[in-house]
Amino acid sequence: MPKILGHIFWAAMAVLGAYGLGAIALNRGEPINSMWLVTASACVYLIGFRFYAKFIATKVMALDDTRATPSERLRDGHDFEPTNKWIVFGHHFAAIAGPGPLVGPTLAAQFGYLPGTLWIIVGAVLGGCVQDFVILFCSIRRNGKSLGQMAREEIGKVGGFTALITVLLIMIILLAVVALVVVNALKGSPWGTFTIAATMPIAVFMGIYLRFLRPGKVLEVSVLGFLLVMGSIFAGEWVAHSAGWAPWFTLSGMALAICVIVYGFFASALPVWLLLAPRDYLSTFVKLGVVLMLGVGILFVRPELQMPAFTRFVDGTGPIFAGKVFPFCFITIACGAISGFHSLISSGTTPKMIAKEWHAWPVGYGSMLLESFVAIMAMIAACVLEPGVFFAVNSPAGIVGATPDLAVATISGWGFPVGAATMASLAQDVGEQSLFYRTGGAPSLALGMAHIFAQSGGGRAILGFWYHFAIMFEALFILTIIDAGTRVGRFMLQDLLGNLHPKLGQTGWMPGVIGASAAVVLAWGYFLIQGVLDPLGGINSLWPLFGIANQLLAAIALCVATTILIKMHRARYMWITCTPLAWLVVVCYTAAWQKIFSDLPRVGFLSLAAQLQSALDAGKVPAAEMAATQAQIFNNRLDAAVCAIFLVLVTTILLDSVRLWYRILGGAEEGKLVESPYVLSQLRPEEV
Amino acid sequence: MRALQQMGRQIGRTVMALLRELGDENAYARHLKIHGQKHSAAAWRHFQEERLGRKYKNAKCC
Repeated sequence: MPKILGHIFWAAMAVLGAYGLGAIALNRGEPINSMWLVTASACVYLIGFRFYAKFIATKVMALDDTRATPSERLRDGHDFEPTNKWIVFGHHFAAIAGPGPLVGPTLAAQFGYLPGTLWIIVGAVLGGCVQDFVILFCSIRRNGKSLGQMAREEIGKVGGFTALITVLLIMIILLAVVALVVVNALKGSPWGTFTIAATMPIAVFMGIYLRFLRPGKVLEVSVLGFLLVMGSIFAGEWVAHSAGWAPWFTLSGMALAICVIVYGFFASALPVWLLLAPRDYLSTFVKLGVVLMLGVGILFVRPELQMPAFTRFVDGTGPIFAGKVFPFCFITIACGAISGFHSLISSGTTPKMIAKEWHAWPVGYGSMLLESFVAIMAMIAACVLEPGVFFAVNSPAGIVGATPDLAVATISGWGFPVGAATMASLAQDVGEQSLFYRTGGAPSLALGMAHIFAQSGGGRAILGFWYHFAIMFEALFILTIIDAGTRVGRFMLQDLLGNLHPKLGQTGWMPGVIGASAAVVLAWGYFLIQGVLDPLGGINSLWPLFGIANQLLAAIALCVATTILIKMHRARYMWITCTPLAWLVVVCYTAAWQKIFSDLPRVGFLSLAAQLQSALDAGKVPAAEMAATQAQIFNNRLDAAVCAIFLVLVTTILLDSVRLWYRILGGAEEGKLVESPYVLSQLRPEEV
Repeated sequence: MRALQQMGRQIGRTVMALLRELGDENAYARHLKIHGQKHSAAAWRHFQEERLGRKYKNAKCC
């Protein structure tokens, strides 16, 4: 493209993006079309990718395509293999895209569409993408080392050990919270429960087919598995209407929680080829397909957002989770804006596949932009629902009242009119007994997606199918995270226990495998059951805890990235990583402080524990509820302790990093860069 | 028109290659090449033991 045309194109993009942002930010009082969100985000992403990311690539990291990457130098055909950049892009995107960018924006929609949307766009371009990109680059320059290894080598042993413990703790909270999302989505839903239960024998069938019948035919068996899952959605409708079968699949939250815990244990301990791997293949393909479908559906339907730009709940009184828009919007949406977990992927498989250093630009920065766009689509799907319906689905009984009549009265009283008849009719349309108190975000997201898909063709007649298709899609990859996460948690625990006794660290020693699997499952299972029993729905306490933990992990990654930039003599550019780091420190410390010490019982863990303790001491708690109240008091104190542990761990790394930066910048210490030496790349273009 | 067709074919090939990469089929082909083996049930099982053991030591993202 001639230079002048390029200038005109980017100027037009900037004007269009600014106009789109203005439209979504300034519109008040009437529904806005979702295309404004799509336009604004797409323009900002393109500009961020073309200018900001390229600036980082050229000036800050000085990417060099003549330098051989680990995939070339250490090529072994297994982990290290130079791969086409678009394949690595898809691979990396499939690895970073989990339920976070779908559920977080849905929950944050309680503040209105605007705060979450702006955070997703700005947070991704200036924070999340930068973190993913810089950590990917750092790992490429260090033979594909993990974040923990880089923290240990570049910051110090304390940093490395703290990073390992932090990741293990975050993993436990993550698994509990995503399991809670599935439990709340399937509670009292025979159709959904049957469909998800059916995915387990289907996965086992796929595993056996792949192992013994048609070895190596992964795509073939995935198509078969997908068809069987589709069949299970249709069969689920029949089960839900069958007087004999429906009761078997109509389970309470507690029963589902126990099922998920038992499943997690077996999936972690069973051979990977039997259950985990086939389910992972299936969920990856379904995930990519549904994300594509949702994008096409939104472009085709161009739905209007029914949610206002801001709701009254920016003041912190929201029914889904308590806390003001600052800081809670910014920890509720982690994946989609900035997620510490991505740094584990960027320093995991991906750096070992990158063929040329410049490929890190689209892979590291670009994949995160796409994930951010998925979060925008989730925000759209949540906001196309009538606000009254959205709050009726997502609010716990402990906030809006234990009967549908009480709930609609409370929600209508907030200024979001909704009727019990409307909710009953909607529940009937989607084949559910009730849509009240379905906290966790998954059911309302599924409703929004079903509306978009149904408007693309089929209308209300197939709303039920699309709703359960969306639930299946969410639950399928959440369960994959649970089984893979439990397994990884088991390895981490065995790694730590191996320091106490070498036998405990052996991943092939059965008593060690069973013991470590059980310990990890019990750890996240405890938090899951805590969430199920919580009268406020569990999400109110667990999701902020997860958000804080995830963002603090991002802070660790940015500490590592900043340290490396300083050691590379790029201190003048350290604002690139320090700006998101400073923001995360302010947001996470404020949120964590409020979650521990706020005087408001719905926000502060300790004040809720104190309130319950006072009620108990004053004899105001009925005898039948005394044990549950005591458990609630303990759980709230435990949550406060976990939150405090996160803060202590991250503060340790932060102080250790700042001390090191100060010494290097002040000349007291030479910043020794632990980078692999330059080797001239011999890769031919046709090889990549 | 021909350029469009070529672009379509190129995109189709990339998508298929991506699907095969995600499904470990490309990794299996590399495994056979490195070990100088031909496809067989035993070779696939050997590959699975190696590949899956390493793959599921890494965290999956949220």
